[in-house]
Amino acid sequence: MASEDARYRQSSQFRLWSFSPAQLAAAREKANILAQSSIAARLASTPNTSAPTSNANTPDRDGTPSLPEFLTPAEEATMVSFYVSELLRAGDHAEVGEVVKATGAAFFRRFYITNSIMTYPPQEMLIVSLFFACKAEGIFPRIGDFVSKFGRDRPDEILAGEYLLCQGIRFAFDVKHPFRALKGASMELRRLGDIEEQRINAAERRAREILNFSPLITDAYFHYTPSQIMLAALSLADRGLAERLISHTFHYVAPPTDSGPGTPMAIGDAPTTRRELKIEDKEAIIGSQIRDKVLGTVEACRDMLAKELPERREHWSNKAVFKAQIQPIRKKLAKCRDPDRYNLVELQRARREQAGNRSDSEEDEPEDNGRSLEKDAAVFGDALPRDTKRRKVVKTEDPFGPPL
Amino acid sequence: MSRKAAPAAVAARAGTASSLPISIDDMCPVCKTMRYLNKDMEFLINTECYHSMCSNCVNRLFNDGPNQCPYAGCHRTLRRKGFRSAFFGDLSVEREVDIRRRVAAVFNQAEDDFETLRDYNNYLQMVEDLTFDLVSGNESKRRNAEAQLQAWEASHKAEIERNRKAGREADEQARRRQTAEKEAARQRRLDAIREAEDEKRGRLLSREAELDSMASADGGQRVQLKRRGQTSRVETAVNTAMATADVGKLSIRGLKERKVPAPDVPYDPFGGMRELVLPSRYSLEDGLSHPGIDKYRYDQGHTTGGYDFDEYTARVMFEAFAGLGVFIEDEKEAGIGLSTGQVATIAAGIAAVGDKMELD
Repeated sequence: MASEDARYRQSSQFRLWSFSPAQLAAAREKANILAQSSIAARLASTPNTSAPTSNANTPDRDGTPSLPEFLTPAEEATMVSFYVSELLRAGDHAEVGEVVKATGAAFFRRFYITNSIMTYPPQEMLIVSLFFACKAEGIFPRIGDFVSKFGRDRPDEILAGEYLLCQGIRFAFDVKHPFRALKGASMELRRLGDIEEQRINAAERRAREILNFSPLITDAYFHYTPSQIMLAALSLADRGLAERLISHTFHYVAPPTDSGPGTPMAIGDAPTTRRELKIEDKEAIIGSQIRDKVLGTVEACRDMLAKELPERREHWSNKAVFKAQIQPIRKKLAKCRDPDRYNLVELQRARREQAGNRSDSEEDEPEDNGRSLEKDAAVFGDALPRDTKRRKVVKTEDPFGPPL
Repeated sequence: MSRKAAPAAVAARAGTASSLPISIDDMCPVCKTMRYLNKDMEFLINTECYHSMCSNCVNRLFNDGPNQCPYAGCHRTLRRKGFRSAFFGDLSVEREVDIRRRVAAVFNQAEDDFETLRDYNNYLQMVEDLTFDLVSGNESKRRNAEAQLQAWEASHKAEIERNRKAGREADEQARRRQTAEKEAARQRRLDAIREAEDEKRGRLLSREAELDSMASADGGQRVQLKRRGQTSRVETAVNTAMATADVGKLSIRGLKERKVPAPDVPYDPFGGMRELVLPSRYSLEDGLSHPGIDKYRYDQGHTTGGYDFDEYTARVMFEAFAGLGVFIEDEKEAGIGLSTGQVATIAAGIAAVGDKMELD
């Protein structure tokens, strides 16, 4: 097994945040269903809710308003993509680096895999993601300056969602990006020596442009590793270079005794001397079989990225598109969102209050929100003094919080 | 050799001890001389049959060469050379000790010779069984054990010899270490004495200087002072000579016994993690450059702090190739290293289920 692959498998990106398409779809569906049921329960338990439910639906014979129409997983995915494009625009506006934007987008997408857009407000969460991405990438802007860039004056709107985000991304703060990998690829291509400098430069520039948008707005980060994404972007920019790089890397041809005549020969210059490997190891690490598999994977990733080329930026920010596709979903979302959790500040205040109450009553301690926050993860929303039933929530000690 | 007669002797001894007021220690069973008559009487035994008799009898009977044991019913032929005085009063104990000594000389493996502690314990058990047979087994058992012992001794002669030598060497070493320790202690003591002496002398000298400073001192006293100083100087000279002689003999204490290192595999600085550290799909040899880095390579702002561009290159290259062979769809669905065929069938199954769910 290749050492690089073994090391990548240890990353949290692979362990926690890599899914097959089927798994990802299942996770999103599950999040959607859970959100629907919990929101339905909450709406039902608040009899005189505001206008959205009542004017959209006719009351039942019981007099309780019927439930609003919920978003489908597909609609949610569209919204997430839309908000990621918004996030990228916000990043441009706040003048943060490309890596920060990419990390923010990854956080945002990860958060909305296990959480529904109906539960937590995406408009807030995208700024939270961006702010937290700054921190994760080692840039520490002042919260006051940061919020003022977005025309807001209350930092707690962002801080309220921060811990929530951390729980949602399961505390996996390290996002592996393909940007640096692209530099490595260009280094390797330069070393080959027979490709014009300009061609490499042009391809690198274009690939970087693609990496700054396409993988972020698609599910590429969940389905492919950074190096595969990088190669796909490179392939979109200059297919010849990407294929050259792959065939150069997987150059090994088994000795003629067991290789059939149909085995494709490695192209490129003679392989540099490497440490000696066993033949079967070589075959598994840099052989032709795995090369074909990598080529296939890169091709699939390329197809995925090709759907959202950087030119589509315009598409997402286009007014007409917004009106035709996004606005209807947003209207629908306004009706079916979670009444308790959509206001992050209110939610956090309630949780803190509850934490204070609990520590007062149980431990006779002064209010200590920071410490008891974790415990509260299991019980948010139930402190709103509306329904006594809701206070009885099973206490679980999962630091990652409940599914929703 | 055999110990046939020994139990009989013990029994006889027990019998006399209980019936007679005079103990066997006081009367020779051969010539019936009593200790009362001969204060210097000494009892000797022969390891052939462990029958005790007084030294006079031994001289008398065996001076002219080998002779039969004078005890009734004991037909052993004894030699004068074999007689010695018993260390233990109880002759059965004496005999057992002798046997044990003999067995230990033959079975002289140390714990280090065995691979596991269990093996060593098993060996000790075997030796103890054999010894027990020799000491207090019946006739056949004893003969059997004797034969075993002799067979072992014959077949492992070289090994036994080597072990004995090793044991002797270890003893020797321990002894030497002990003497070295003693030597060092003596040295320290001497040093301490010398120091005290020096101090004393220093005090004397200073006192002398003090006296000298008193300009008007009479001659006689000065001579006396001088003489005293000389004697002490001679003493210290002797002491230092002794000390230097000791230093030559001193050996270093606490040295670990050197062991011959087993011919092992070469030392692995990565502790078996080499595979995870070295790149397998790319090489980090020279020739890697990027215009984005090159402009910083000689920038003082970067180089002054010791920034290593090779580190950056290594990281960049690692990221370019890490996970290239990780196929998330396969690995998350089927596990690492499964064949594509298996994966395909599994994926097909999942896809089918997914379709059904969507139809619902």
